[in-house]
Amino acid sequence: MRVTKSRTRPFSVVPQLEPGAPSDFELMKAIQAEDPDALSQLYDRYNGILKALILRVIHNEAEADDLLQEIFMEIWNQAKNFSSQKGKPLGWMVTLARRRAIDGLRKKQAYARAEERLQNETEQQPDAWVHNSTEEEIVLSDTRGLIQKVISGLPPAQQQAIDLAFFRGMSQREIAAKTNTPLGTVKTRLELGLKKIYDGLKELRSEL
Amino acid sequence: MNFKEFQNQSRLYVIGALEAEELEEFEKARKKFGKKAEDYIGECYGLHEAFALSLRPAKSSAAIKDRLMAMVRARKEA
Repeated sequence: MRVTKSRTRPFSVVPQLEPGAPSDFELMKAIQAEDPDALSQLYDRYNGILKALILRVIHNEAEADDLLQEIFMEIWNQAKNFSSQKGKPLGWMVTLARRRAIDGLRKKQAYARAEERLQNETEQQPDAWVHNSTEEEIVLSDTRGLIQKVISGLPPAQQQAIDLAFFRGMSQREIAAKTNTPLGTVKTRLELGLKKIYDGLKELRSEL
Repeated sequence: MNFKEFQNQSRLYVIGALEAEELEEFEKARKKFGKKAEDYIGECYGLHEAFALSLRPAKSSAAIKDRLMAMVRARKEA
């Protein structure tokens, strides 16, 4: 397995585009120039990923749809703040969507209900991260499978800690309380798990 | 904090998992390491993208896109 030594290029495992299709950067540039068609294309390309992310946080189909619309509106309104020097468009959109979804979760005080659902999910599917893996969708499936392979290589406790931090926006203390685990153990799980994923993704990028 | 410790903390930082007391130390180290630190944090944000891509895309109704594009066009014309 070849490992890249690059330290300056943000790692990224993005789906392949059709030949001739505008890159995400080109679409963002067009959106900055207020071209609605560019937003339409960006929506077609990533609404499924962003909706999945939102759903993973708030577990409510109708709310996820509303939030998805708000997020793309924010992408339109905030496009001028996007800088290619700071990363890729998808990373920027995911960061924005995650923040909005977690804010939405808290504002609507749905935390308790989501926690209960999470509890059920965790009991029924300890490897919740992996349960999304059986689908027909083609373009992203290889990428998804490769990323999931990296994630599913982690011990379940590390997966759970990262899942709670990333998809629920929980602090280390909240994770410790929820999982009845010492704070130091939670920190170690997060550190080890994230390092393994980070290193795994860098290897993956060098292979693609 | 040495740079290796900073790297560990950066991965926690980008997913919002640093506690308040750690955040203070992290920001000090971030300042100390300068551009090298910013570049590394930028790399770590790739984790966001990867976590999102690990999920099976979800379908949304066509009405969502119609509403969105109507709002965008109205905003542009305003």
